[in-house]
Amino acid sequence: MSTREIFDSRIESGLLLLPTLLVSIVFLYYPTALAVRTSFFDSSFGQVDEFVGMENYVTLLADSGYHSSLLLSILFAAVVVAGVISVSLYLTFLIHEVDTGQGLYLISVIWPYALPPAVGALVFLFIAHPTLGVLTGPVEALGIDVDWFNNGPQAFVVVALAAIWKQIGYNVIFMIAAMNNIPDTLTETAELDGVSGIRRLLSVYVPIMTPTLFFLVIINTIYAFFGTFAFVDLLTSGGPSNATNILIFDLYQEGFSFFNFGVASTKSVVLFLVVGVLMLVQFRVTEEYSYYGG
Amino acid sequence: MVQLLQYAKRQANALRGNQTETTHDVRPGTHLQLWFLVLVVVFPIVVAVIVSTKETGVVTSLGDLLPGSYAVENYREALVDYQFGRFMWNSLAMSLVIVVGKLIVSVFAAMAIVYYRVPYKDLVFLFILFTLLLPVPVRFIPLFQLMNDLGWSNTILAITVPYIASATTVFILRQHFLSIPTSIVETAKIDGVGPLRFMLFVLLPMSKGVLVGVSIIMFVYAWNQYLWPLIIIDSEANQVAQVGLQLLQGDVQGGQLSWSLVMAGSTLTLLPPLLLMIVFRKPLLETFSIQQK
Repeated sequence: MSTREIFDSRIESGLLLLPTLLVSIVFLYYPTALAVRTSFFDSSFGQVDEFVGMENYVTLLADSGYHSSLLLSILFAAVVVAGVISVSLYLTFLIHEVDTGQGLYLISVIWPYALPPAVGALVFLFIAHPTLGVLTGPVEALGIDVDWFNNGPQAFVVVALAAIWKQIGYNVIFMIAAMNNIPDTLTETAELDGVSGIRRLLSVYVPIMTPTLFFLVIINTIYAFFGTFAFVDLLTSGGPSNATNILIFDLYQEGFSFFNFGVASTKSVVLFLVVGVLMLVQFRVTEEYSYYGG
Repeated sequence: MVQLLQYAKRQANALRGNQTETTHDVRPGTHLQLWFLVLVVVFPIVVAVIVSTKETGVVTSLGDLLPGSYAVENYREALVDYQFGRFMWNSLAMSLVIVVGKLIVSVFAAMAIVYYRVPYKDLVFLFILFTLLLPVPVRFIPLFQLMNDLGWSNTILAITVPYIASATTVFILRQHFLSIPTSIVETAKIDGVGPLRFMLFVLLPMSKGVLVGVSIIMFVYAWNQYLWPLIIIDSEANQVAQVGLQLLQGDVQGGQLSWSLVMAGSTLTLLPPLLLMIVFRKPLLETFSIQQK
C-alpha cells in the first residue's frame, strides 16, 4: 500500500506544528475565551472588572438600537450579496462569451480584488461627494437631490455601492473558473435547442455553478458583515442617524469610543455566533453537493 | 486532480487570450457591453489617478477630467511632507513579515499533517481549521487588551504576530501536498531522505506555483488590513498606509481640502497589491481554485 506518511517522529511533527498551534492558542483561542469571560463582566478602562452574570446579554436583548443595527446589517448584507453576485455573474458570462480579448477583459474586472477598502472608500467619497463629486452633477441631472451626508437611505446606497464594487473582482475569479469548467457540449446542445444569451446563463450555467455560487454567497455575506468596516468608517462613520451603523462599526464604537469592554465583548460573542452559523451552513451544503460533483 | 489540471490549462489559455473552445457566434453587443462595464469598474480609479495630478483636485464635472501638471509636486508632498513614504514603508514591513512568517510556519504545519504518521493529527488539523471561525472582527476587543498586557501596543509585533497562524494557508498547502504523486514521496523515502532535505529539495520545488499564489493572497490580505492597525497603532511614526490615508485627509481638512493629495496617497496605496496581482495572476488564479475545494 502506498502512503504519503513517510516520517513518524512525534517530536519532529510536534516541532513543525508548534508555531501554528502556539500563535493559534495565544492570539486566536485565548482572546476568544477572554471575550466570552469579559461578556459576563462590567469592564471598562481603569477599573476593576465586576462580575454581572447575564446582565450584558439582557442589556443587548432589550437594546432597540442594537436590534436595528442587527436588522440593518442583514439588510446591508442582502443588498451587497445580491448586487455582487448579479453584476459579477453577468460580467463573467460576457467574458465567457467573447472569443477575443478574454485575458484583458478578465484582468480589467478582477483587479478590485487587490483594492484596499480604505482606498476604495476615499475614492468613492470623492466621486460621489454631495458638492464636489464628479458623479453628483450627472446624478442630480436625473432629478435626484444628492445629499447623502444627511440622507440616511442615500448614505446606505453609497456605502453598499462602494462595497459591491470592491467585491466584484473576487467573485469573477471564482465564477470564471466554474464557468470554464462547464463542458462545451452542453453549450452546443443549448445553442442547438435555441437556448441562447441570458437564458443560457440562467437556465443552463447557473444550475451547474450552484456549488460555486453558494460558496460565494457565504463568503460575500461574511464580507458584508465584517469586511466593509473601512467603507462605513471613512464614508459615513455609521451615520447619518445610524443609517449605516452595521454591527461591526457598532462594536468598534462600543469598544473604542465608549470603552465599554463588557458590552463590547458581549457583542463580539454575538458576532462569533453569526460567523459560526454562516460557516456551519456552508459546511452542510458543501457536503450535500459533494454527492453530485466529482 | 485531473479537474485541477484541466482548470489550470484553461485558465492559462484564457489569460493568454487564445481560448479555442468557444464555437458559437459572438453577439455584436457583447464587446460593447463589456467595454461599458469595464469602464464602470475602472472609472473611480481613473478619476483618482487624474485628480492626483491636478493642483487642487477640485473636479466637479466630467469635463474637468483632464490630467493636470502637478503630479510630481503632489506625490512629493504626500510622500515627504505628509510622511506618506513612512506609512508605505511600515505597511511593506508589516506585509513582508506576515507573508514570510505565515509561509514558513504554514509549510511546517502542512508538512506535519500530510507526511507524518502520528496520532491525533486529524484532530490537530481540525483545531487549526476551527480558527476560521475567529476572524479579527470577532476578537479585536480582547486582542487589544492582550496587546496592552504584553506591552506590544503600537509596535510591529502587534500588527504581525497575531496573523502568523493561518488556517487558510495550511489548508491550501495541505491540499496541494496531497496532490503530489505518492510515487515521488516513496522514492524519497527509499533514498533515505531526511525531513529537512525532503522539505527543501522535494516539497518546495514541487510547490513553487502554490507558494507564489498563497504569498500574493497573503500580501493583499496583510497590506489591506485597516481595522486592526487603526485600533492598535497610535503613533504616526508607526502607522500603516491604510490608516495614514485618513491622516492625510485629516490634516488637510483643517484648512483647504486638498483632494489631490488624498488621491495621490490612494494611488500609492493601491499600487503594490495591484502590481503584484497583475504580474502573478496565473499562480494566483490557480491557487484560488485549490482553496474552494
